[in-house]
Amino acid sequence: MTDWTIITRSLTARLFSTVTTVITVAVAVALLLTLLTMRDAGRRAFDRGSGNMHLLVSRDASPLVSVLNGVFYAGSPRRPIEWSKYEQLARSAPFEFAVPTQIGDNYRGNPVLGTTPEFFTRFQPVDKRPWAFAQGRAFDKDWEVVLGAQAARATGLRLGDKISLTHGAAAAGDGRAGPAPHEHQQFKYEVVGILEPTGSAHDRALFTSLQSAWIIHAHDRREREEMAEAGRAGERPAGHEHETAEEHAAHADTHDHEHEARTTAADLVEGDRLITGIYLRLIARAGSDAPANLPQVFDQLRRDTSITVAQPQQEIGKLFGIVSSVDKILLGMAVVVMISSGIAIMLALYNSMEQRRRQIAVLRVLGASRARVFNLVITESAVIGFLGAIAGVAIAAGGLVVVARVMKRSVGLVIDAGLAPDVAMIVMSLTIVLASLAGIIPAAMAYRTAVAKNLKPMG
Amino acid sequence: MVNDATATAGPAAGGGERPALAIEGLRFRYGADGPWIIDIGGLRLARGEQVLLTGGSGRGKSTLLQLIAGLLEPTSGSVRVEGQAMHGLRGAARDLFRGRHIGMIFQTFNLLHGFSALENVMAALMFSSIPRGEHRRRAAELLHHLGIERADADPDRLSVGQQQRVAVARAVACDPVLVLADEPTASLDPENSATAMELIQQIAREKNAALLCTSHDPAMADRFERRVTLEELRA
Repeated sequence: MTDWTIITRSLTARLFSTVTTVITVAVAVALLLTLLTMRDAGRRAFDRGSGNMHLLVSRDASPLVSVLNGVFYAGSPRRPIEWSKYEQLARSAPFEFAVPTQIGDNYRGNPVLGTTPEFFTRFQPVDKRPWAFAQGRAFDKDWEVVLGAQAARATGLRLGDKISLTHGAAAAGDGRAGPAPHEHQQFKYEVVGILEPTGSAHDRALFTSLQSAWIIHAHDRREREEMAEAGRAGERPAGHEHETAEEHAAHADTHDHEHEARTTAADLVEGDRLITGIYLRLIARAGSDAPANLPQVFDQLRRDTSITVAQPQQEIGKLFGIVSSVDKILLGMAVVVMISSGIAIMLALYNSMEQRRRQIAVLRVLGASRARVFNLVITESAVIGFLGAIAGVAIAAGGLVVVARVMKRSVGLVIDAGLAPDVAMIVMSLTIVLASLAGIIPAAMAYRTAVAKNLKPMG
Repeated sequence: MVNDATATAGPAAGGGERPALAIEGLRFRYGADGPWIIDIGGLRLARGEQVLLTGGSGRGKSTLLQLIAGLLEPTSGSVRVEGQAMHGLRGAARDLFRGRHIGMIFQTFNLLHGFSALENVMAALMFSSIPRGEHRRRAAELLHHLGIERADADPDRLSVGQQQRVAVARAVACDPVLVLADEPTASLDPENSATAMELIQQIAREKNAALLCTSHDPAMADRFERRVTLEELRA
């Protein structure tokens, strides 16, 4: 028989009250932990992805949209950049790299990025952390594809597998015009590499050569041209029953294309060579990531009204600035919920005090001091807080996995869903302290319990 | 045998041994100008002595026991238990001294609900100087000695008589020098009352503890060689 026996018996004697109070605390802890973790993880996730690029050029409506589309694959850019424009921009300043990218295709919902080998050799998705291959290598010719770590997990693809990409935008849900997604079975890509995870949105992407993407675009163009020509001549191209180009595009993946000749690089025209973004990095002094001419180049590029220029880090900062007020409100709510759970503990113990006065009086008669009785109640309160904190951490751990999945699916943000041990420890400690504080009033009641009065009837 | 009215001397009161209980000039009242509830010139009990304190309901018998146990503060006077002035001790020291030197038995037993009979006895040992490792064995032996076979049973599942035995076991678990029994048989039928009182007196003798028992049951009088009333004790 110890103080601990008395505490556990007290908790189990009013099990329903204890369990509901623990659940209240657990929900509050889980909410607070989830918000704190998501805030940090979200910021980290946004910090990753743009890596060592200084500028991002696109023709999106705004710099923020440009970053969301070009780095986080939130959507497909509508307005492409011509290759000639890329060449002009790449020569306009002393860039360490100018990596062209094209987004728009997908494989089973995973975005496909058409790019050049520089994407792997020069660009780093997380600054100072170059790409690393878990298996295989980077693509070095057309019709080869490299998988991001999460894309590999999600699709189950392995080295050597052959896949067909879905050409055209994946379900964007924004009602924009564009070709309906359709699959080109005759253009098979071979998986040649699988990347190590980076914690960035790139993990869920597939990477191919720009020219592969261009050839498929060219293939579609040629089809449309053939049909238009056949329409003028009053006949249909062999193997096709579609009435219009739109109908052709809409036939999606119901059958393989059977055009008379497969499109090759030789069929490319200037209009096929389109990109949707350019990752730019200026030459910086060794050990510095802030080149002195960055503001100047940024202003120079911004004067070109045909393009949108973004500084990814600044745009991410602005984005967090926009959501910070909401963030503060949510955190404030979580703190209020925490305090409410403390009040719930206090009420549960306060209500139990009426029933426990005799028990306390008996313990006092047996030799327990006022301070010891006070400590018993405080410890009991802290135990409720501890149990709630443990349950809250478990709920938060599970909840974060769910939230991370939702974030990935809805906005394409790859979030590290792991609970930070230090944050969990701090929140748990604060919960126990809060619970202990919540126990002060009931403990004071126990402390002041009049022994003689509560032992009646005594004769 | 009936003691003299002041009853200032017990069998060992004049000897060199410290009395188990020594009360001198004890007065108590609620508030500054209330009537005196307790006004005792003196009372001494030697180790092993058994005294019955009688009187009508509401005359202050329980109040006196609470003063002796240090649960109430006297207006004046002193209470010494085995030489130690109870009210000279403060806070935790007094609580600890009470737990180790005084056993209390109540009319309603005041057992801890949710705890087994064994744990009720062990609860008293929690505050003793007896090593923790001996608590369980000691409590079990005591309960067995007092005829409780189901030591792990919740007191609510025991008969009233058995509950009283558990309460007695708890009161004497720490080998007290003084046992205060406040109407210990008031909840029992006459047959059980006699048995319970016999048990209390016997265990007090075995432990060589002084016993101060209050009761307004006339049947109890014959069981005690020394009997006093509050009126007789009045200063």
